[in-house]
Amino acid sequence: MIRINCPYCGERDHSEFTYGGDASIKYPSLDAPEKEWTEAIFFRKNIYGKQLETWHHTSGCRMWLEVERSTQTHEIFSVKACHSELNKIIQKEKSK
Amino acid sequence: MVDLGSLPIESHKLQAFVTESIKPLLNHVVVYGVGGAHFYISQSNKGSMVFGGDLDWYKSYAQRGNLPIVQDSAEAAMAILPCLGRIRLLRHWAGVMDMSMDGSFFMCKTPISNLYLNAGWNYGGFKASPASGWYFADLIANEQPHKYIQNHNLERFEKGINLDERGAGPDPKLHG
Repeated sequence: MIRINCPYCGERDHSEFTYGGDASIKYPSLDAPEKEWTEAIFFRKNIYGKQLETWHHTSGCRMWLEVERSTQTHEIFSVKACHSELNKIIQKEKSK
Repeated sequence: MVDLGSLPIESHKLQAFVTESIKPLLNHVVVYGVGGAHFYISQSNKGSMVFGGDLDWYKSYAQRGNLPIVQDSAEAAMAILPCLGRIRLLRHWAGVMDMSMDGSFFMCKTPISNLYLNAGWNYGGFKASPASGWYFADLIANEQPHKYIQNHNLERFEKGINLDERGAGPDPKLHG
């Protein structure tokens, strides 16, 4: 079981979460050629090791999280809210 | 290594289970897939029940199991074969699956001459192996895909070609 430390709820089992996907994808502009969109949507680097990915805390606070995890060992290096403003608020609350 | 850049393939893990040996119970494979559930079971020559179910739905190269899938698979086993209720598990592991984005395989030429791709057999490996050998040999010998595999190439996503198969793209986690 992977344990994910949700910034709002605390450390929980991964079965509470839904895997989102690669968080490092930069989507092209709406009028970009189809080839760029195909690359962004369907093609993967399939990283062996540390990767950025999104998880949704579906059975918890329902926040989308950006998780840095190893696909080799499942070790988690960092967890933060995807939403940058929300992330700032959480950091501010924690530092109190 | 051949640097083709990225491919429409991701590594996911699929868990499997083997129980202690019992007297003959099943003489064929049972596959069960209703709603979100997915399960298959058979009995080995030594009498163990061999079974498995869904992927974990997150990317991984770690060949290790975990408890949520034990629970899911055991629930499905009990739903169709309640007589397995007291049987004990012997082994449990995870294998790395080459998941394609739409759940279908690739059998095609690549931009590099004399390099062929035969991958993404995530759902069809065991069942399709004999036929896939014939068509792969045919592709290499004739440099021309047979009509049955002509759309199983790397360009199908860009061209929007629909395969008459699973068609579950654009992400392996959506296949459930």
